[in-house]
Amino acid sequence: MPQYFRDSPESLVPDALAGFAAAHADLVAYHPDHGYFRTRHCAPTRRVGLVSGGGSGHEPLHSGFLGTGMLDASCPGRIFASPHNRQIFEASRAVARPDGVLHIVKNYTGDRINFSIAAERLAHEGIRCARVLIDDDIASDSDDIAVGRRGTGATLIIEKILGAAADEGRGLEDLVALGTDVTRRARSLAVASAAHNTPASGAPAFALPDNILEFGVGIHGERAEGTTPHAPLGKLVETMTDQLLAALPDTAGTRVLALVNGLGSITSLELYGIRHAVAKALDDRGVGLDRSLTGTFVSALDMRGFSLTLFATDAEALRLWDAPARTPAWPL
Amino acid sequence: MSDQPGPKGLTHATVMDWLTRFAATVRSVEPELTALDQKAGDGDFGGNLVTGMDGVRRALDALAAGAGNGERNQRGPDAPLDAAARVFLDDVGGTSGPLFGLLFQELADALGMAADPPGTAALALGTAAGAAAIQRVGEAEVGDKTMVDALVPAARALASCEPTADPAYALHVAAVAAHRGARSTTDLRARRGRASYTGDHARGVPDPGALAVALLFASAHTELTSLDRLPVS
Repeated sequence: MPQYFRDSPESLVPDALAGFAAAHADLVAYHPDHGYFRTRHCAPTRRVGLVSGGGSGHEPLHSGFLGTGMLDASCPGRIFASPHNRQIFEASRAVARPDGVLHIVKNYTGDRINFSIAAERLAHEGIRCARVLIDDDIASDSDDIAVGRRGTGATLIIEKILGAAADEGRGLEDLVALGTDVTRRARSLAVASAAHNTPASGAPAFALPDNILEFGVGIHGERAEGTTPHAPLGKLVETMTDQLLAALPDTAGTRVLALVNGLGSITSLELYGIRHAVAKALDDRGVGLDRSLTGTFVSALDMRGFSLTLFATDAEALRLWDAPARTPAWPL
Repeated sequence: MSDQPGPKGLTHATVMDWLTRFAATVRSVEPELTALDQKAGDGDFGGNLVTGMDGVRRALDALAAGAGNGERNQRGPDAPLDAAARVFLDDVGGTSGPLFGLLFQELADALGMAADPPGTAALALGTAAGAAAIQRVGEAEVGDKTMVDALVPAARALASCEPTADPAYALHVAAVAAHRGARSTTDLRARRGRASYTGDHARGVPDPGALAVALLFASAHTELTSLDRLPVS
């Protein structure tokens, strides 16, 4: 059985937070009393503080994207668990700008409630606060799921674009409108050939037979509705691309940005192979590939799989995407 | 309603007693709340509530010793509720704990801003604001089998009282309404919260969060109204 390298299941997250803070001490500061990170550098032009967060186990999201051009604060929860409203409240209060704070929230019940409670507390203190809710995962797009699509890979794209826009001094409503529009134009889908291993027990979160893929898996090891035989990569990527393009609004003649994201234990070698297959699938369908990013950005502990996010670009989004950023994990 | 002279406003002491009594009540019914939550939810509600109210008791002791939060009048009727709000918002896990914190926060604000001494109008305002905040956050409606099923009737009952009514009477009316609301959740299927994942397992079991809301108002009422002054409803 695979084993995590850590002193104990309980020490995994706190030790990682301490190590991350020390490793990137020039860029971020950890506030242990309230459990949040904040950037040490940000554009003086910002009028809105950007706060994101969510469960641990998705590294480098979110703390890896603190810094110039991206987030002001991040709130790590326990593994796959929402941060406490106190973390979000204190982080927001610390980084609020004249126009308040914007919460970037992935669509999961716990995250929604805890960010909402923090928002109520901020309102109580007279601090303006708004939210962009990310719900890009088409595998959870079903009438049976009342809470709606989950938020996954698009989070990184939104954090980058909103970060650049915030640096331009845009106001709260403007950023909400932009973030909502980016979310509307981004869709993701994930597959896995093996589940992540639960840190407490070391046991896989679920079992898959040989040569079967979990098609539409979530980033917490939520099972998908279905499985699919392990097809050749090109065929698999074509299927995913078709589903994503069909889910994007106004796809005819669209140009896209592609995020090829590893879920934890897939190799860089494979990810670049997937990047190659995505480019070919898009080209075959007459869709232009404006930008791409390949690597592990939104992981699910050590899940063996990848997600593909397509974002229908426009000139403004590309300009904001290309703006400089300096964070522990932004690669460009 | 009684025509005897009685408390017409909420003082620091009555609110302290209200929360102290609620803490004792919660501790005594914790096994029942936990048993209910184990049938329908994830079983942590009773424990979270007791832990929260134990923290509130310590905060009230600190307040009595003059070590409260400096931002408020420490002898005001709102100070104990503000202390409770901070404990529940900051230190209690789960989701229903912090939701109680929002109710305490809104009650504290309404009492703090009311004319001296705050009475039924302030209670009505604070409870309505608390219910609204909890609904904004949790997105639950009446009938979803949550604490909202008790809180919204309590808020309506308070709003239906004359603003100048004796708060003891108003809290009694609110407690009765909250209790009826909590009981009405018994036959519902949960649509929000952890219990919503258990399907029909929650049927036949009242929502523990709604019961706790009823107990909160009942605790206040018992403190403010002696038995021989109980209004008949």
